[in-house]
Amino acid sequence: MLLDPADLQAIWLTVRLAAIVTVILLLVGTPVAWWLARTHSWAKGPLGAMVALPLVLPPSVLGFYLLLAMGPNGPLGWLTTKLGVGPLPFTFWGLVLASVFYSLPFMVQPLQNSFEAIGERPLQVAATLGASPLNAFFTVALPLAKPGFLTASIMTFAHTVGEFGVVLMIGGNIPGVTRVASVQIYDHVEALEYGQAHRLAAVMLIFSFLVLLGMYAWKPRPQKG
Amino acid sequence: MELHLQLRKQQGEFTLELDLQASGERIGIFGPSGSGKSTLVSCLAGLITPDSGQILLDGQPIFDSSRRINLPSHQRRIALVFQQHGLFPHLTVRKNLLYGYQRCPVTERRIELAEVAEVLEITDLLGQMPETLSGGQSQRVALGRAILASPRLLLMDEPLSALDDDLRYRIIPYLNLVSERFRIPFVFISHSLVEMRLMADQVAVLEKGQLAGVVVPEELARQRMGQSSTGYINLLELGIPQEQQGLLAFPWAGRELLLSGGAGTESGTFELSSKDIILCKRHPDAISARNLLPCMVRSLFESGKKTGIELDCNGSTLVAEVVPAAAQELQITPGSTVWAAIKASAFRRL
Repeated sequence: MLLDPADLQAIWLTVRLAAIVTVILLLVGTPVAWWLARTHSWAKGPLGAMVALPLVLPPSVLGFYLLLAMGPNGPLGWLTTKLGVGPLPFTFWGLVLASVFYSLPFMVQPLQNSFEAIGERPLQVAATLGASPLNAFFTVALPLAKPGFLTASIMTFAHTVGEFGVVLMIGGNIPGVTRVASVQIYDHVEALEYGQAHRLAAVMLIFSFLVLLGMYAWKPRPQKG
Repeated sequence: MELHLQLRKQQGEFTLELDLQASGERIGIFGPSGSGKSTLVSCLAGLITPDSGQILLDGQPIFDSSRRINLPSHQRRIALVFQQHGLFPHLTVRKNLLYGYQRCPVTERRIELAEVAEVLEITDLLGQMPETLSGGQSQRVALGRAILASPRLLLMDEPLSALDDDLRYRIIPYLNLVSERFRIPFVFISHSLVEMRLMADQVAVLEKGQLAGVVVPEELARQRMGQSSTGYINLLELGIPQEQQGLLAFPWAGRELLLSGGAGTESGTFELSSKDIILCKRHPDAISARNLLPCMVRSLFESGKKTGIELDCNGSTLVAEVVPAAAQELQITPGSTVWAAIKASAFRRL
């Protein structure tokens, strides 16, 4: 066996985390991207900047603030304790929540770009043909933005797989709960298990390369408006 | 259809301020670019909200700022055909055509797909994707899609401007045919006088965001003759031609008009500018112009620095223009007779 059971467990955990985060961000990121693409409000700038923050912040800074917020004395921690869930740090769902913040721009920005590229005209046409705004969104905007959704989902998934700093800050290193592949490699290196580190690192490298290769090779059919 | 607009809309430096009442099935809105035509269309369709005023369609308010009424676009049942066809690229022609139809309340549906497709000659295209269509086909599909929504009113915002010249006039019969056949009143927006005369019974003229008047298109064309570089455009319906000495002889007004080759061998509508008609007091013995028509002067009108002359040519009408000095020299008065000389190359097929 190439990978030992602990490695496989870490990979499975990573995939589960990335998949859940991608689904949550599809639900949360779509309305945010739609709003950013269509609004003329003054709030567009500040909100856009907030969404982009994880791109430039050191993961430790983001992780530090999230840790405080989720801790027993933070607002999120207070809320989750009231709800009977308990504080989120060092749990899988704490990791999910942190990853949602961390990967937010990777979902929102491609979606926003593709919504902006559609322009107002197709939606105006739909409205004059009797489609309500929600109906026009689902029957016109969504299908036209399909390439954007695909790109955004792949980027979000891959980026979540690759996170390390935030995981360490929020999740620590609990096998089967928060020990994802990137942390597992770190552990192997710390323990001087270079052979195992090599194998897991190679899996990550090949996965990342294949994702990017797929994205660059795949050219959506251009649709004339 | 009764349309009553009284509205104000400011957009940056530009202000549209109108009080317009129009009735009829074929209303035109005419004006140069920047006169506010498209802003007006957007207000009517509900794509933008006027700052104040009201819009009544057949007496029913679709917008009224004082009563806080502002029917959203999708409830107005006012369909819109744009300059760019705006077909949905991800849907087949059939699904494009049915987009508005499916969203129209069943009790309001009056028009069926098969009939529209037949009238617009797009039946063979139903399975295709929009990207495979030519400009003229796309515009016909866009028109069909708007009609199939069974709208109370059809807005056409420069629907022909994106098309090539010869295609443009081939679409016009379709536009008139569908509105007549399916009884849909329309508002036709254009900066082309010829299109106005072919498409509208009554024209609201916009200038710099204000209403300059409501006139019949024929009257508008005569008013604009003097300042237009193309003069007044006579629109002549010519029959099927026969070849004659290298030219084509088209029947018109009980006689023949000679046109140079290239005019095509079918019947059709032809343009003839008032500038291309030369008037002579007496029969010129020999002249290079191939058409020499005896006419009676019906009336004269002033337009800018030109005098327009309405001629009765065997019962059909021609409008010629001269400078006032020439009119005096020719002693043109209503009832007098003149010869109209027209070159064979002066005609242009629409």
